[in-house]
Amino acid sequence: MRRLARTSALLALALAVSCGGDGSPTAPRNGDASCPAKGSPANAMLVLGCGDFAPKRITAEIAVHGTTAYTTTWGNASPTSALYVWDVSAGAPVLVDSVLVTGASTLGDVAVTDDGQHLVVATEYAGGSIAIYSLADPRKPTLVSRFSNAETSPGVHTAEIGRVNGRLYAFLCVDPSNAVAAKIVIVDITDAAAPRQVYSRFIGSPFVHDTFLRDGVLFLGLWDAGMAIWDLGGAGKGGSPSNPVDLGRVQTVNGHVHNIWWLHDAATGSAQYAFVGEESPGAVGTSSSGDIHVVDVSDMTAPREVAFYTVRPTATSAGAGTHNFSVDEANGILYAAYYNGGVRAIDVRGDLGSCADAEKSTPANSVVALCDLGKMGRELAVGLTDRSNPVYVWGVQYQNGVVYASDMRNGIWALQALSR
Amino acid sequence: MPMRFVPSAMLAAGLLLAAATSRARAQHEGHAPSDTAMREMAMGDSAMPGMHGAWHLMAQAIPVVTHVTHGAGSTDLTEGYLAQAAAMARGSLIGGHLQLAGTFNAEGLTMKRGELSTGAFGEGYVDRRHPHTYLHEIVATGLGRLRALSYSASVGRGFVPFGTDDPMMRPFEKYPINHHLAQLLERPMAIGAVRWRGAIVEGSTFAGDEPTSPSSSPHLRRFGDSWSVRGTVLPLRGVELQGSYARVASPEEPRGFGLDQRKRSVSGRYLSPDGARYLLAEWERTVEIDPARDAEAFAYESALAEGALSIGPVSVALRVEQTDRPEEERLADPFRTPRPATDLAIAGITQWRSVTAAVTLPGATLGPVRGYPFVEVERLTARKRVATSVFDPRQFYGSDAPWMASVGVRVRLGAAHARMGRYGVALPDDAPIRALGADRGGMAAMDHH
Repeated sequence: MRRLARTSALLALALAVSCGGDGSPTAPRNGDASCPAKGSPANAMLVLGCGDFAPKRITAEIAVHGTTAYTTTWGNASPTSALYVWDVSAGAPVLVDSVLVTGASTLGDVAVTDDGQHLVVATEYAGGSIAIYSLADPRKPTLVSRFSNAETSPGVHTAEIGRVNGRLYAFLCVDPSNAVAAKIVIVDITDAAAPRQVYSRFIGSPFVHDTFLRDGVLFLGLWDAGMAIWDLGGAGKGGSPSNPVDLGRVQTVNGHVHNIWWLHDAATGSAQYAFVGEESPGAVGTSSSGDIHVVDVSDMTAPREVAFYTVRPTATSAGAGTHNFSVDEANGILYAAYYNGGVRAIDVRGDLGSCADAEKSTPANSVVALCDLGKMGRELAVGLTDRSNPVYVWGVQYQNGVVYASDMRNGIWALQALSR
Repeated sequence: MPMRFVPSAMLAAGLLLAAATSRARAQHEGHAPSDTAMREMAMGDSAMPGMHGAWHLMAQAIPVVTHVTHGAGSTDLTEGYLAQAAAMARGSLIGGHLQLAGTFNAEGLTMKRGELSTGAFGEGYVDRRHPHTYLHEIVATGLGRLRALSYSASVGRGFVPFGTDDPMMRPFEKYPINHHLAQLLERPMAIGAVRWRGAIVEGSTFAGDEPTSPSSSPHLRRFGDSWSVRGTVLPLRGVELQGSYARVASPEEPRGFGLDQRKRSVSGRYLSPDGARYLLAEWERTVEIDPARDAEAFAYESALAEGALSIGPVSVALRVEQTDRPEEERLADPFRTPRPATDLAIAGITQWRSVTAAVTLPGATLGPVRGYPFVEVERLTARKRVATSVFDPRQFYGSDAPWMASVGVRVRLGAAHARMGRYGVALPDDAPIRALGADRGGMAAMDHH
């Protein structure tokens, strides 16, 4: 028995070492039976599987394309971070490779281009950059180029990507330093081997935290300066990536504007609402705060907040705050990463700004009552708060009926998406 | 482990000492106040409490070598530099109605990377103590008296009336972990103080933002966004009881968008008239508030007790401390955290416990310069305050019980200042703590005009 155990251990070690460049993560566990639950609440999202590799590193953002998922890492105790590559072809993610990224203690964002050809990773802190990888083999990202200059040097917090007039751009939210304010830097990455900066602007109070691009319109999360909307060519105001035109701005309740999603409801054709994430204080792994704010952008020159969603503390659970979103637009369901609150599935179809008085609440430290999506019965399900291990969900991505979630404490989860 | 020195530090120290030598008057070690002065103070009848004459100049530096086991990033390190390199001046004019205090601190030159000190935190440094600003202190104080009531008003950059004395004037070379919980320093401020017999009340308004570098200037537009109050009682000779409260706006984000702090401090202090016996016990609590949601975000507590005993030319000191430290994302340099931070999150709270023992040996003299060798050993433990925090001190340090050991020499020109962190009528007339290195002065003469 002792010899068998020793042999098994050696085989397991060999398997782990062969998995990639980041030392030897332990073999991931697959299947719901390996992702134990502590209960079965009625509205729990079904867990399809987890990729739990007892990570040496803290998981951060997630991006999924086809049958491959990519997760980044945060707060590495060295100037080298890691990017993990997962096979998500089955229900449960399987770790297949890792990529070490030098000169970065945090990889705060990752995104796959719409054509699936490249992966863009944002690096922090000093020497901030975006690293662009070829996904010719999606399971083996290979570095094509790394863009950095004096303007990105403090650190690139997020890097959303998208096309405007056929060209591919990365929108870099650059950290402030004590000497230099935060800024947005727009980089043309159409030629991935030769990225080229086309624009920059100091903006944000004190940060510009994230952006969202759609149809030539750029939404910017400016922390305590609210949300700004720019025309990059899609709003008919003569803007372009190299010369954006300000359309409008809104101050959402409590500020701390972190991320945005402009919904295009595939069923109704509505593009009325933008969802704004508020990232208020939290202790990573333990607590969080901040609401989702619903902004009516039907008039982009005068956006206004009409509703919000909050996770309040209860007798059995602490409150929680939101982080990143992914939306199943075909079904009108927003999936929000909610840190210690797991994943929240919210019905965002229809009129969100009209509700009965009983369905209104005032957000924290506010006197203005807004429609409360929770009171309106629009919270459809909650994921991962039923697990034995506490979770702290950074990001989510919906794809083909599955919601993938990156969990700072445990790794990666796959959840069954809801359907109408 | 490689040792690293800063050669320029030696030049800087020499310049400091030369400057002090050229301006210093004859100084005497051991500035215990006279019995008369103490009685007058206790009765509130002294001519001008807080200063008894003269200009008082001092320059000091501490060449020190520190060895750390299980430091940041699970490394053992040995480093040497010139710590606490400073020149201080205190002066009294217009018959004691105007006092001036200034401290130039050269640590930005002599220990730019910060001083190795496991557990320390503040101003973007972690497991290192940050260098202080070059203009550490410059304060002008006007004093007056109305019968038994004396009063003072101070303006300048220096110590806000909150908490306990700066560790530079306490018996250990390594600052306690709670430095940023127990003191508020290097702020532009205005202070009003009144004193009646043995009771002192101070109030201040100041700019809440911390310095961002040794050469940083305060954001004067933020002046007045923060305030503090401190009450002090001197019930018996050498005994001091203090309680203080402060509201500090966005100390860690200079543009004002960070979390605010609500700070509390309570302490008791005893110093024998000759400075040979010293005791301090303190408790602090800092609560970080999200002003947007008007909600408590995080809270940190500290409790500390320290004492020192001088027997002849040898002094021994002991400190025990338990302090909560917020953990933040670290930069590629594991001793640094982003400043300003890029969001309002922390990675957890670590509860640190430490025991520090120090021995100060008999001083040696070289002309007007005195040197007091010392040895200091500190054992620490660190554990998560909440089990779900992602920061695991055992994993990060490779141990939950790091050690530190330091050897050095307190080099001084001029007599030690007794206190640091009070001005005007709020400044009790104490002797310096002998464990800092002071000859047996007993009731030696004080500074002269």
